Amino acid sequence: MAPKSSDVDVDDVQVYRFKLFVSGSTPRSARAIGNLRKICQDCLDGRYTYEVIDVYQNPEATGLLQIIATPTLVKLSPEPPRRIVGDLSDRRRVLSGLSIPWT
Amino acid sequence: MGASFVPSDSETLSQTSIMDLRHRLREAEDTLAAIRDGEVDAVVVRGSAGQQVYTLESADRPYRALIEQMQDGAITIATDGSVLYCNQRFALMVGVGAERIMGAHLSQFLSLDAMRAWEDLNQGDVRDRAGEFAVLRFDGSETLASVSFAKVALDDLSEPIVCGVVSDLTATHRRSHELRVTNLRLAQEIEERHRAEGSLQLALDAAGMGSWDLDLASGHAHRSQRHDEIFGHRGLVEPWRLDQALAQFVPDDAARVALAFEEARTSGVIEIEARITRAHDAQLRWLRITGRTFYDADGRPSRIAGVVADITERRAVEERLRQAQKIEAIGQLTGGVAHDFNNLLQIFSGGLQLLEKGEEEPSRRLRILKGMRQAVDRGSGLSRQLLAFSRRQSLHPEPIDLERQINNMREMLERSLRGDVLVTTWFAADLWRVEADPGELELVVLNLAVNARDAMPDGGTITITGQNVTNVDESLQGDFVRLDIADTGIGMSAEVLAHAFEPFFTTKEVGKGSGLGLAQTHGFAKASGGSARILSSPGEGATISLYLPRTQKAIAPPAAPPIELSHAHQSARSTGHVLLVEDDDEVAALTAELVAELGYVITRVATADAALGALANGRLIDLVFSDVMMPGTMNGIELALEVRRRRPDLPVVLTSGYADAAKRAAHREDIRILRKPYSLGELRTAFDSAQMARL
Repeated sequence: MAPKSSDVDVDDVQVYRFKLFVSGSTPRSARAIGNLRKICQDCLDGRYTYEVIDVYQNPEATGLLQIIATPTLVKLSPEPPRRIVGDLSDRRRVLSGLSIPWT
Repeated sequence: MGASFVPSDSETLSQTSIMDLRHRLREAEDTLAAIRDGEVDAVVVRGSAGQQVYTLESADRPYRALIEQMQDGAITIATDGSVLYCNQRFALMVGVGAERIMGAHLSQFLSLDAMRAWEDLNQGDVRDRAGEFAVLRFDGSETLASVSFAKVALDDLSEPIVCGVVSDLTATHRRSHELRVTNLRLAQEIEERHRAEGSLQLALDAAGMGSWDLDLASGHAHRSQRHDEIFGHRGLVEPWRLDQALAQFVPDDAARVALAFEEARTSGVIEIEARITRAHDAQLRWLRITGRTFYDADGRPSRIAGVVADITERRAVEERLRQAQKIEAIGQLTGGVAHDFNNLLQIFSGGLQLLEKGEEEPSRRLRILKGMRQAVDRGSGLSRQLLAFSRRQSLHPEPIDLERQINNMREMLERSLRGDVLVTTWFAADLWRVEADPGELELVVLNLAVNARDAMPDGGTITITGQNVTNVDESLQGDFVRLDIADTGIGMSAEVLAHAFEPFFTTKEVGKGSGLGLAQTHGFAKASGGSARILSSPGEGATISLYLPRTQKAIAPPAAPPIELSHAHQSARSTGHVLLVEDDDEVAALTAELVAELGYVITRVATADAALGALANGRLIDLVFSDVMMPGTMNGIELALEVRRRRPDLPVVLTSGYADAAKRAAHREDIRILRKPYSLGELRTAFDSAQMARL
C-alpha cells in the first residue's frame, strides 16, 4: 500500500503526492497500481505518498479533479499539477508527463 | 486542473503561461488519444445525480468471469419481474439455455414462495430477503435451492433492480435426506430387535427355559428371571457369576460342568446335563444346559450364551420308558425261556425216571447223571444272565469291551431266542474299546436279535461281528467300531427301510411289537456319538450296523462282587450243627441232603421266628443257613441281623434265587448270600468262610 507520512516534509526535500484513479479490479487497474509503485520506488527515493481511489466505490472524488477516464494518475505536488491517463507502463512518458526529473 | 484560463486583451501571454497551456493541451490530447486507443477501463460523466462511471466492456471481464464461473446461480430481475440477466449456472439449474430465461418472467423459474419474497423486496422497504425455495425446472420437476435477494439501486434515474443468488441444495439436501433415512432405518431396526427379544423371552418362558449370557471377561452372566427360578431362587440374584452357579451343582457334576464351559471356549458349543441342588427346597434336579460361544474380532472367545431347562421330569419319563422297553424285551423272551427250561426239566424228568426204575449199569447211570448236571449248568447260566439283564440299571456311558459284553449275553441269546435260531459271533482280535452304557447296549443287541428271530420264522442264523473301521464316509470321520447284527431272514423292502428307525413304526401285527426297538437302537448309537445303518433287501436278510466311536479310555476293573464267592479252597469234611431255615418242604429236604453230605447235622425250621425260638431254646447251633425270601414277619436278612444281635459269634449264611434287593442290604451288613443254584463246593466254601470270619 502507499506509504503514509503523517507529517509532510517541507524542507528542501521534495515530496511527491499522487492520486491514482482506477475503476475496480481490472487488469489495467492492477497494472497501473503496480507501475506506480515501481516508479516511486525506483525514482523518488521514498519522497512520495499516493492514494488509490476506486471510482466505482467513490465516484464523487472524480468531480473535483475533473477525471474523465480511468486509470488516471494525478500528481498533486510539487507544482505544477500534472495528469496522465493509461496503465503507466511507458515509464518515460509517465516521468516526462508528470515533470518528474530523471535521476 | 485549475480553473479555466481566459486571457484578457491587456495581458500578454507570459512564457510560463505558454508552457502551462502547452502542457494542458498535451494532456487533453493524450487523454483523448488514450480513450480512442482503448487504453481506459471507464469514462466518468457528470450526471444530474452526480458522477457516473461508465465501464467499457473489456474492463468488466473479471467480474463477469466471477459471476459466470461461480457455483451458484445469479440473476438480476427488473421491477416488472422480467429476468434481465442470468448466469450459466442458473441456466443449468433450470435446464434450458440462458437466452430463453432472460427476458422471461421470474415466476416461470421460481416457486410462489420465492415470488412472494421478491415482491416484498420489490415493493417494500426491505433491502434483502433469503430462504429455501423451489426452482422450477424446464422439464416440470423442481429442485430445492437457497435463494438470496438484494435490492440494488443502479442510479437515481432508473428503478432499482433485484439481484439474486441461487444455491442448489439438492446435493446437500440429498445427503441430509439420506442421513434422515438411515437414522430412521436404524431406529426401526432397534425397535424390531427389542420386539424380537421380547418374543424370544416369551417363548422361552412358555417352554420353561431360562436364558443366560455369560461375559467371559468378567465372569458375570446376564440372565432371565426364569433362569434363576430354575435354580430355585425367587427373583433375579445379583450379582451372578459362573463360580456361584457351579456351587449349586452336586459335587460330582460340578467338575463336569466347569470342564464343559472351559471346552466351549474352543469348541464353540456347550451341551451338558447335570444335577443341581435347588435353592428353595434342596431338591435334586436335572438341568440341561445348551449354549454357543461368541468370538471377538481377533477370534478370542468373548461370550457364551444359551438356555437352561429343568429336565428332571423328562429324565424320569425316559427312565420309565427304558424300563418298559426292557420288560417288553424280556417279555419277548419268555416263550423261548420257558421252552428252554422245559427242555432242562425234561432232562431231569427223564433222568430221574430212569434212575427210579433202578438203572443198574454204572456207566449208564453216570451218563444220565452227567446229562442232568449239564442241564443244571445250562439252566443256571441262563437264569444268571436273565437276572443280570433285568436288574441292570442305566448308568453313565463307560468304556467297555464289546466282545466281552456280547459274549456275556450270548448264552441268553442262544437259549431264549428259539431252538432253530443259531447265534454266531466274531470279533476282530484287536477290537478297539468304545464308550457306551452297558445296559443300553445289551437292550439294543437283544432287541436286534429279537427282530432277527422274528424275521426268520423258519429258523436261520444271527451273526454278530465287531471290527475296527476308520473314516467310513463324510459323516463318519475318525475311528469307529462297527458292530453288525446280521440275519438270514425275509429282509426289508425299500419302503420299510425308509421308516425303519421311526419310533412306533412296526411291520409286526398288533401286540407283537411296540415299534420302539430300532428307534431306541438309533437313539443309542447317536447318543454314543456314532450312527446306526441298515442294509437289507427283500429275501436277502438284513444287517444292522452300529457305528460306535473309539475311546482311548481304559476299562475300569470290575468291582469285586461282594456276594460272589470264589471257589477258594476245598477243606476236608466239616462238622457241626446247622440250623436250616427254609419254608419250602421239598427244597428243605434236598438242601438238607446237601448239607448232610458236607458232614453237618441239620435241624430244619420253616420260619424265622421258629429259628429264633430254636436258638433261644439253647440248642447247640454252629451255623444258621437260611433262605432270604420267607413268608412271615421277618425275612432272611432281618433274621441274620437279629441272630447277630443275640449271638454275635454265630455265623449266618443266606441263600436266594433272587438276590437283587437283598444284595445291598447284605453287603452293608457283611452278610454272605449264596446264590441259587449252588454246587456242593460252593456250599462248602460259603460255610467255611462264614465260620472262619466268626472266629
